[in-house]
Amino acid sequence: MSTGIAGLDLVLGGGLPAGRVTLLSGGPGSGKSMIGLQCLLHGADAGQPGILVMFEERAVAVRQNASSRGWDLARLEKKNKLYLMDARLDPESVISGEFSIKGLLAILDQRIKAMRAKLILIDAADALLHLYDSPMRERRELYALHEWLLDRGLTAIMTVKTVPQEEAPSRYAFMDFMADCVIHVDQRVTAQITTRRLRVIKYRGSGYGRNEYPFIIDENGINIIPITSNVLQHRPPGPKVSSGQAWLDDVLAGGYKCGTSILIAGTAGAGKTTLACVFTRAACLRGERVLYLNFEESAESMVSNMLSPGLALQPLIKSGTLVVRSYLPEAMGVEEHLFHALKDLDEFQPQHVVVDAISACERMGSDQAAFEYLMRILNACKERGITCIYINQTAGLDIVAEISGIGISSVIDTIVLLRHLPIGGAIVRQLIVMKSRGSKHSEQFHEFRITDRGVDRVKA
Amino acid sequence: MKARKRERRRNAKPGGGTYVFRLFVAGNESNSSQARGNLARLCEEHIKGRYKIDVVDVLKDAAAAYKNGVLVTPTLILLKPLPKVTVLGNLNDTGQVLAALRLAGDER
Repeated sequence: MSTGIAGLDLVLGGGLPAGRVTLLSGGPGSGKSMIGLQCLLHGADAGQPGILVMFEERAVAVRQNASSRGWDLARLEKKNKLYLMDARLDPESVISGEFSIKGLLAILDQRIKAMRAKLILIDAADALLHLYDSPMRERRELYALHEWLLDRGLTAIMTVKTVPQEEAPSRYAFMDFMADCVIHVDQRVTAQITTRRLRVIKYRGSGYGRNEYPFIIDENGINIIPITSNVLQHRPPGPKVSSGQAWLDDVLAGGYKCGTSILIAGTAGAGKTTLACVFTRAACLRGERVLYLNFEESAESMVSNMLSPGLALQPLIKSGTLVVRSYLPEAMGVEEHLFHALKDLDEFQPQHVVVDAISACERMGSDQAAFEYLMRILNACKERGITCIYINQTAGLDIVAEISGIGISSVIDTIVLLRHLPIGGAIVRQLIVMKSRGSKHSEQFHEFRITDRGVDRVKA
Repeated sequence: MKARKRERRRNAKPGGGTYVFRLFVAGNESNSSQARGNLARLCEEHIKGRYKIDVVDVLKDAAAAYKNGVLVTPTLILLKPLPKVTVLGNLNDTGQVLAALRLAGDER
């Protein structure tokens, strides 16, 4: 049964088990209730009426929170597609002796019949269990609830709070055994950047993704970006296209190959961005689309800086062939960055992507985060046959030792190194092609200058 | 202010008025039967002749359960005298139930 969350359906190998119970555990604020609500709303929209049983939140608050995401619960409630059941117990109630939740079930039975409900979300089931003073009774009541759900053939989601750093507290461990599908979500902070992750712990009778999948919550709700394929489905490289400068095409034996990955590395001020923009402009003028992801400067400042080497980018942005996205790396977690980038790849469908600069990606959290981001972008580009140009800033002059570029150099097809050396009271800029898979290339250092007409070669 | 008022009412001695109870049960399940028996015994012992018990079976009347916010069974609601008191469970702990219903220490 589809969850309505595209990425989650992929991870679950299709969706939730229909007519069974799914347990969704996670710490406070981990997004479990929202995942549940999104499934419920998707079902209601698809003609599968659902009931939301809330043990903690007020119906009013749930409606308000949902409306802030543009989800109109009241509309579905009016159409009898959704029912919010406030199941919070009066805190002033006195408890004396044993009891069961038959009252709740009787009310629910009536609603299920009246609206032909197919789905039920039991939010904060742990709050209900807290009522029972012994684990044995908790368990008995939960088994009874489980049986009740199965008897009615409902597709059920139960959310349970867990303490951070703990997957399923031993107290509720038995719930894992009972449910047919167990999903754990968490939220963790690494280097001051929050990331959310989801993992399917078990799913009876289904093949499912066993990894941890990052997800984000944006204005539309939950977005999961699963690793789409476990086999490399890279497209073969396309034809060569001009780098934008005739002499550089000679050095590269024809230019850059479409759909490959290119690393432009060098020290600060060596001309990396200029070289990338030379290519960008040439590609756009040929009518190809370029997505420029800039983590170093704003689109405005990039446009104005590139006027100095005579590269007019503004007309390209205006004509829609160039899209520049400027992000502060530390502003979001890796998954959010990824989500934005992949969305652009799908919507804008560029032929070429420039990432300026991969060295800044470390600020997304950690080396690992940057690596993950860059590998995913690279894979996404290669699957789509998009040329991927990574710019990497190296600190010292000994570039060769540093070109590993956060460990991704092995998957890079072409490496262009730039450096500038002080020679005779002046700065001399040099370029060398270090590697170019499946293609001949010059093995010389080539001296060049940045002029007001782009990047010019200085004849030796 | 309101809290203080409520506090005063809660500590009020049982007066001479009639006690009106509504007991929500789920058919004849054991907890429900126990609650029924326990309540009848308590009333007979403490407020003989001054009580009224209305038993509602949630399995037959879910609407009433919904209207009264009854989620668990058995649930006992003391409707009169005010303030309203809700006691959940089979009412096996006599002392606790008496205290909750403000009948403790009332050995007339």
